Amino acid sequence: MCRANWGSDMNNRSDNTLSSMGVTNLYSATTDTRMAHIEAGLKKRRAASRRLRLYGVAAILTAIGFLCILLTTIISNGYTALQQTEIAVAIEVPANEILDDNGLIDKEKSRNYNWGGLVKRSFRKEFPEVTGMLDQRSLGELLSANAGYDLRIQIEKTGSVESGTNIYWVKASDDVDMLMKGRMDRTIDEKMRRIKDNQLVWFDKIVADGSIRLAFNSTFFTAADSREPESAGVLGAIVGSAMALIVTVMLALPLAVMAAVYLEYFAPPGRLTDFIEVNVNNLAAVPSIVFGLLGLAVFLGFFGMPRSAPLVGGMVLALMTLPTIIIATRASIRAVPTSIRDAALGLGASPMQTALDHVLPLAAPGILTGTIIGIAQALGETAPLIMIGMVAFIVDVPASFTDPATALPVQIFIWSDSAERAFYERSSLAIMALLLFLISMNLTAVLLRRKFEKKW
Amino acid sequence: MDTSVDMIPENKLKAQKVNVFYAEKQALYDVTLGIDEKSVTSFIGPSGCGKSTFLRCFNRMNDVIPSCRVQGQILLDDVDLNSPKIDPVLLRARIGMVFQKPNPFPKTVYENVAYGPRIHGLAANRQEMDYIVEDSLKKAGLWKEVSDRLNDQATGLSGGQQQRLCIARAIAIGPDVLLMDEPCSALDPIATSIIEELISDLQSRFTILIVTHSMQQAARVSQKTAYFHLGQLIEYGDTKEIFTRPQNEQTEAYISGKIG
Repeated sequence: MCRANWGSDMNNRSDNTLSSMGVTNLYSATTDTRMAHIEAGLKKRRAASRRLRLYGVAAILTAIGFLCILLTTIISNGYTALQQTEIAVAIEVPANEILDDNGLIDKEKSRNYNWGGLVKRSFRKEFPEVTGMLDQRSLGELLSANAGYDLRIQIEKTGSVESGTNIYWVKASDDVDMLMKGRMDRTIDEKMRRIKDNQLVWFDKIVADGSIRLAFNSTFFTAADSREPESAGVLGAIVGSAMALIVTVMLALPLAVMAAVYLEYFAPPGRLTDFIEVNVNNLAAVPSIVFGLLGLAVFLGFFGMPRSAPLVGGMVLALMTLPTIIIATRASIRAVPTSIRDAALGLGASPMQTALDHVLPLAAPGILTGTIIGIAQALGETAPLIMIGMVAFIVDVPASFTDPATALPVQIFIWSDSAERAFYERSSLAIMALLLFLISMNLTAVLLRRKFEKKW
Repeated sequence: MDTSVDMIPENKLKAQKVNVFYAEKQALYDVTLGIDEKSVTSFIGPSGCGKSTFLRCFNRMNDVIPSCRVQGQILLDDVDLNSPKIDPVLLRARIGMVFQKPNPFPKTVYENVAYGPRIHGLAANRQEMDYIVEDSLKKAGLWKEVSDRLNDQATGLSGGQQQRLCIARAIAIGPDVLLMDEPCSALDPIATSIIEELISDLQSRFTILIVTHSMQQAARVSQKTAYFHLGQLIEYGDTKEIFTRPQNEQTEAYISGKIG
């Protein structure tokens, strides 16, 4: 009924000019004709929206696929670095050389004792058939160059020792480690191999004796960088990164929030304000290495600040993060309803009181998100840190903001560039550490955000 | 500024040749009127006639809008509010405002009322603050409903309660004048009638200026009414006169529902 009436109404609107122009005049056609036309088009429209949905699903699947490939590669390359090959060596403890009168280990004596020689001698004893100088040296190369140091630390930890022969597990060299983990092909030509044929024989004998094992690689999480992969760790880089980020947040967050509040609430509209706005937005897109150059020229060159220090690294990263936080803060300030601002101003609050008491607390979740995005960017940044010398080879965990240090991404960069294959798996493990660092930071941000978020 | 109360109702506020511009567009043309002390004056007129803009001139809320320019004089007790010597902060402590949409701060009921007195340093200690909060809530007719919910979130109150909370918040700093910008437009009829009663109660203490879309509301609550059209003040006089014997054709057309 209704449809018929509607149709007849429409039919009255016949348009002679359109018909006379030879245009298919659906506008003045009967309802049925018009509906049939719309229905015919509907199929196409439905197909188009289905297609669009498929594209979307395909895009997401591709993204997930790439992410999976990335993660699998990193994990499959890196997980083996969680373990380190160790060799059991029977060692006659030089008790009278290192103990003091009370039967405790004298640190001074212990430090001066030739532990490296002791390990090598003890190890050679297990292979009496190896006699020549060269052969003995190759035999010694199966053990880590730092095996003596590791043994000293192991023994010092116990506090006191009794003389006699004990079995100690010392680190194997990185080549033995690779061989043990199946990352070295023993079938290729000897010249191309880092472990020679005679070393292979000794290695097989050790394996047959059962005096080799894969143990948890705690060194990786407790040491800083080293020339020997088996003694290298990420702690130094993590501490360096954390210090730099602390400096970054402490500098960038207050500066950016104040700048954003000023630009939103106090800046008189005009050319200067426009100019500053455009520049802040452009600054966010400046390549990070430019900030590194700036840091090198200004902080190191002009102010003479210490090279390779997390303090300077943090300052450079703060410059880089500043525009990101300013933009995020301005956006979240603008998202606070103007009615709240009016309410405060209407009560006679000064603009600053309005901003600090009402607008900023409500904008806090957004500011926090922006800060975390900025900090996450800063955490992954390598180029500006290289410019200010944080790429140096540093074997100590930094103890203060002015100590030379390196950062996680820079450490990954250094290791991935090293010749030793064992550094390759370690750089993958360091990437995992970096990702974990990032995830834990984001998690903190989400939790803080939840806490601050107010319901209307 | 003399704050002593003058018992004879005379013009508390005066507007002289007020012109307001938003960038190039003129929103008000030469508005001149005087407002009686301790009375309710309503501004009516179709949307976009400039009545809200005019109201916002009285506490300089138009300052917040960068493109807005105000010309002419607004006098409170014969002192020009637009003079550069007047601090808007001080002015707004004397002229409170209630907005169209209830806009409590997302804080507790107590904090909402206490905020104004706190920033102006009106309470010396917690007891005084408690008294101010209780008294303001009582004056706004909200005390009975919220006395046991002072520490609840204000945003959890009903719309009408929120608006009365906003009134309590405005009167907590002890203003002389209350500006109300369509205070009932977001409320249901029952909440509206409660607010209207409240306005009649408050009239004995405050000079109230109210912008409203509802002619019945203007007729019910106000002693004087000003009719605006396209930025011009068309007619101003006793509410009774305006609604029964309007002098101007446009006013008559509007209040009889022919335009608007």
